[in-house]
Amino acid sequence: MSNTTSDDSLITTEVQADSNDDRAAAAAGTAVAARNLNVYYGDEQAIDDVTMEIPEKRVTALIGPSGCGKSTFLRCINRMNDMIEICRVDGDVEFGGKNVYDADVDPVALRRKIGMVFQKPNPFPKSIRDNVAYGLKIQGFDGDVDERVEESLKGAALWDEVKDQLDSSGLELSGGQQQRLCIARAIAPDPEVILMDEPTSALDPVAASKIEDLIDDLAEEYTVIIVTHNMQQAARISDRTAVFLTGGELVEYDDTAKIFEDPEEQRVEDYITGKFG
Amino acid sequence: MATDNANAGGFGEVSRVRGIVFEYLSFGASVFGLVALGVLLVYVAIDAFDLANASPEWLLTYFLTLVVPFLAFCLYSASDRDVTRRALGALGGGLVAVAALFTAVEAFVAPIPRLNWQLAYLFVVAAPVSAYLAYVGSGGRVGAVGFGLLGRLVGGVAIGLAVGTLFLVFDPLLWFLAYTLGVLPAVGLYAVGRRRSTPRAQTAAVPVALAGLIAAVVLRDVVATYPSDLIIYLWTVAVPVAAAGGLLVAGRSGRTVAALVAGLPLAAAAAGGFLAAGVGLPGPTVLLVLVLTGVPTAVYVSRVADAGEGLAGLGLPLLLGAGAIAGALIVEAWGVPAPDPWLDGSFLTAAPSRTPVEAGLYPAIVGSVIIIALVAVLSFALGVGTSVFLEEYTPESGALGTLTRILQVNVANLAAVPSVVYGLLGLGLFANLLGLGIGTAVTAALTLSLLILPITIISAQEAIRSVPDDLRRGSDAMGATRWQTTKNVVLPEAMPGILTGTILALGRAIGETAPLIMIGAATTVFRAPDSLFSRFSAMPMQIYTWAGFPQADFRYGVVAAGVITLLLILVGMNGTAILLRNRAERGS
Repeated sequence: MSNTTSDDSLITTEVQADSNDDRAAAAAGTAVAARNLNVYYGDEQAIDDVTMEIPEKRVTALIGPSGCGKSTFLRCINRMNDMIEICRVDGDVEFGGKNVYDADVDPVALRRKIGMVFQKPNPFPKSIRDNVAYGLKIQGFDGDVDERVEESLKGAALWDEVKDQLDSSGLELSGGQQQRLCIARAIAPDPEVILMDEPTSALDPVAASKIEDLIDDLAEEYTVIIVTHNMQQAARISDRTAVFLTGGELVEYDDTAKIFEDPEEQRVEDYITGKFG
Repeated sequence: MATDNANAGGFGEVSRVRGIVFEYLSFGASVFGLVALGVLLVYVAIDAFDLANASPEWLLTYFLTLVVPFLAFCLYSASDRDVTRRALGALGGGLVAVAALFTAVEAFVAPIPRLNWQLAYLFVVAAPVSAYLAYVGSGGRVGAVGFGLLGRLVGGVAIGLAVGTLFLVFDPLLWFLAYTLGVLPAVGLYAVGRRRSTPRAQTAAVPVALAGLIAAVVLRDVVATYPSDLIIYLWTVAVPVAAAGGLLVAGRSGRTVAALVAGLPLAAAAAGGFLAAGVGLPGPTVLLVLVLTGVPTAVYVSRVADAGEGLAGLGLPLLLGAGAIAGALIVEAWGVPAPDPWLDGSFLTAAPSRTPVEAGLYPAIVGSVIIIALVAVLSFALGVGTSVFLEEYTPESGALGTLTRILQVNVANLAAVPSVVYGLLGLGLFANLLGLGIGTAVTAALTLSLLILPITIISAQEAIRSVPDDLRRGSDAMGATRWQTTKNVVLPEAMPGILTGTILALGRAIGETAPLIMIGAATTVFRAPDSLFSRFSAMPMQIYTWAGFPQADFRYGVVAAGVITLLLILVGMNGTAILLRNRAERGS
């Protein structure tokens, strides 16, 4: 593979839709920044001295083999790692110019500004309306809830499919619809950042492609950080890509086109071309 | 070709003997247990209803006027030719088989005491076929409507009687003040807040309710004159129930129907209450029963009428009522000997007596209902609270985690402590140390709550643990506090499981005798308890006492009637709880 020319795309998928290129061209502020971040599970190091800046209103993909720490990194941003008792975090994660691991940060208040979508769709066993309105309810939102529910479902490209059955259970929807419901739930309280932990890996290809289209639209308003196993997906939807490799090391972080067409590191090239991982 | 030869005789055989033996042994053991229990219950029922003295003509009359129309209704509802053929086959074939077998056993083996082949047919064939057809029939639209209506009628009567019983003990005057000053304003505030979507009004509802309750307690002894019990029940129970029924209907069928649904039962209940008081019946109880039966029935009928399906099912209660009346008239005209059941109206409403005919269970029923109501509230609240704490709030590691594990093991051990020991604890702690009194209802309720608490905790923990972690993480990631996650996601999802555990535990509590003996509950009281601190007896205590009486009528007739009453109340209670649980399951 050493003789691959730089203009050959390393994988077969077309890199980037054109609209994303427009976004990439414009300069953007920083939404989230990690500085010398180390994370340990007991004695085991999951993230090794990661420093990176994630631009706002862009899609940033985190890719890498299993166990490379990309999901751990994602969970550091909204401090969901706090739930894991043996987890220890060292270093800074800045969000809106504030280190989220400072003593005066309430993780619950932090999570209200950051939406999260999980690998397996996990709608609550409640009606579709109550699912979307959940964040509003717990945050004591005192505006028009129905209007916000409609906006969020439209934002998650689900409104047309469910507008006549808002009172039926969220569990009655298909897997792909459930995942979009979870996205609607995440955007309803109007967060600044949306974290997605392999949001399409439990879905069939058609449902997955709908989610991918949706992610593209979401980046108009939100900063999206997505963990994915699927390199084609990262290439299709992201503006920036970070490659983590075993041991929690951030090996390369650059514009998506650069990573997939002309990576600096041999290890990244090997990973992307499927030599390992 | 070599392989062909090697497998010419198949692949050899693997022995399954042990598995098959195990399967049939377990099957046989369960069948034996069930049959033994069934035979016991049949004999108890025969004694309680004096069926041994029922003439075959009497049985035949009621079979034709009551059972046959019911079976026909179920078959009509199921409208399945196969089911009809099978049911008729079972009824007819069963008749021949039971009669032949019964005669043969009596002739060649030994006479069967207190049974004849007609009764045997009733219990062995007619009852199971009825149950099966009721099950199949309730699957059809007509049957579902019929059973739904019947359930609301029976349930309304039961709840009305239970509420009336509770007001014997809990001060209706205090409730009157608390309702007027606390509950009503709070609910009104909440409703207004919800309609105008102003959360402030909604959150204000709780303090308003609390202030009203405190005011009620303070004013209870200050205010000197109160309206009569009948007016109080009308204002605090009948009117809100009717209003709730009307609101349920209003959204669907418009105001006129809603006014009818709320107004008719309310008027009937008020009239019934006042008239009953004139005749000498307990007016307040009549009012409660009428309104709690009438409003749900009216709501149900209007819903069925709207849906327009299975209207014929509404005739089921009429069919059964007419059958019972027709049967009574025929028996009267025919002049055949009728049984004189021990379990009749006077048994349920009279106090215990020295003569078996006059003996009644009323004070013990009131005692049991009150205790069980308290135990249900206490053990549910404490059990859910403890299990939420153990499952959701305590960490898994560290010193606190170790402490939690120790607690955990001890809770499990407590479930195995004999009930007599709990009785001793209740005697020492509640009766003596806290001075709640020996043999009082409140001591008994606290003791029994403690007795079933470990079971409630363990089953609630199990239910909470079975809520997927995905849901918790989903809620946490939305920025919910742990309390919000528990309240909004974990508890609703775990509720069916928690209720199952509580129901089972309550079933145990209602039948307990040993701890009641230890805390000095009376074996027999002649007046129903009228406060939490009065002496009381419970149904199992009373039954146990009667079983030791020298007269045979007590040991067979009265005890059997008591046992059937206890079982019916238990089944009714569990049935209600199971309905609630199923509703919770469907809701999620």
